[in-house]
Amino acid sequence: MSTVLRVESIVKRYSDHAVLNGVSLELARGEAKVIMGPSGTGKSTLLRCINHLTPPDEGRVFLEGEELTSENINKIRQRLAFVFQDFNLFLHLTVLDNVRIGPRRILGQSKEEATERALTELRRVGLEDRANYYPAQLSGGQQQRASIARALAMDPKVILFDEPTSALDPELTGEVVAVMKQLASEGMTMLVVSHEVAFARSAADKIIFMEGGYIVEEATPEVILRNPRSDRTRGFLKAIGEQEAV
Amino acid sequence: MIWNTLYDNLPYLLHGTWIALQLLAGLLAIGLVLGLALALVEVYGGRLARVCGIVFERVFRGIPAVVLLLLSYYGVSDFIEIPPFLAAVLALGLRSTAYQSQIFRGAIQAVPVGQMMAARALGMGRVEAIFRIVIPQAMRHAIGPWTNEFSSELKATSLAYVIGVIELTRQAKYIISSTQGNILIVFGVVAIIYFIINRLGNIALYRLEARMTVPGFERRRA
Ligand SMILES: Nc1ncnc2c1ncn2[C@@H]1O[C@H](COP(=O)(O)OP(=O)(O)OP(=O)(O)O)[C@@H](O)[C@H]1O
Ligand SMILES: [Mg+2]
Repeated sequence: MSTVLRVESIVKRYSDHAVLNGVSLELARGEAKVIMGPSGTGKSTLLRCINHLTPPDEGRVFLEGEELTSENINKIRQRLAFVFQDFNLFLHLTVLDNVRIGPRRILGQSKEEATERALTELRRVGLEDRANYYPAQLSGGQQQRASIARALAMDPKVILFDEPTSALDPELTGEVVAVMKQLASEGMTMLVVSHEVAFARSAADKIIFMEGGYIVEEATPEVILRNPRSDRTRGFLKAIGEQEAV
Repeated sequence: MIWNTLYDNLPYLLHGTWIALQLLAGLLAIGLVLGLALALVEVYGGRLARVCGIVFERVFRGIPAVVLLLLSYYGVSDFIEIPPFLAAVLALGLRSTAYQSQIFRGAIQAVPVGQMMAARALGMGRVEAIFRIVIPQAMRHAIGPWTNEFSSELKATSLAYVIGVIELTRQAKYIISSTQGNILIVFGVVAIIYFIINRLGNIALYRLEARMTVPGFERRRA
């Protein structure tokens, strides 16, 4: 299997507080990894460092062997999509225009081509009947599915998801998780920060447990969820398990 | 009679109105272009640019319009000959720049930061993201306050007579001095003309606002 995304020793500090203390990971083509860890542990910061939305202080990122630099960043981001916790759909554009703007304006496709692509991706996430709605007219789950369609329309090599379901009402997480599961099963390479254990169990190839700006351990879902090496992983899973039981 | 006098002088009043409208259009255009540029510099520029912008704003908002007009006309005339109309467009235009930059700055800052982040995450360049994503949303926030700016600048054009711009108010004074009196009626007519222009302008701007409104950007006026 070929490595699509390689992240080497990312360090990020805010003033003198180190949020990431040298984080490395790799994604092979078609692989899905889920990152878990306590709040404030640097998961979002890691994702934002990977596509340089927050430039890392140290460390390197390679997409398909090409290192991200400040020169090629816009080109690379076209193939390294990002899905935000709070969707961030463009509020003044319809769903169709949200999905179409990337292929049309960034990839330079013709209007017909971009529209075709956008409608295909909207069908994929089950939103073709909402194409002419504005974000404010959609539920959270629909907005997140539209934002996934926006990411897919760029034909990305990797999608980074930052807690895609945690801004949603519990009854709406299912529809988003379903879309993500489908993507994983279709072979999309994805790195997902999420505490959706059910998603991780069924769709992830590996779970990465992070704490305090370090990767504590990385293993298959069976190992992490049943028999983690680290007590801290165990403690964290217990904590979110307890939360789920409430 | 006064009505005859008014009728005879109507062409002068209309010409004054035309000058006032040109002055208004000119100063609003300067304020729009420079005000938006200043707001962008203040939000996205470096520290120095921000400080310069704020100083400019403070100065032009802190000086009475009449004083700015006098400074612009007599101050500049010391160096180069400048027609009063141009001096007025310049003075009021720069003053409007200061007010409009405040409107646009607030409007740009009202656009959630996630909008820019999402655009950049797609691979859009910063400048393109500003023009395609941020400004279209900011304009929708700005149009309400901008309508107020339109009204106050219309009224401010009447001050240009202090440097000899023959606009509507100045024409009214001519008519009064040539007809010995009738102050109330002549200025009453002038007031009605200003009022009508203001209403028409506001109606046009409300129409524009309604056309630009999309769900999520409904007007928040009572
Ligand atoms: N722009 C910033 N300036 C200063 N500190 C920041 C900034 N962004 C994040 N931090 C700090 O970095 C740490 C990690 O934040 P981050 O958002 O990456 O955590 P997280 O693991 O995603 O947490 P959560 O599960 O709550 O989303 C936190 O202590 C946070 O306060
Ligand atoms: Mg986070």
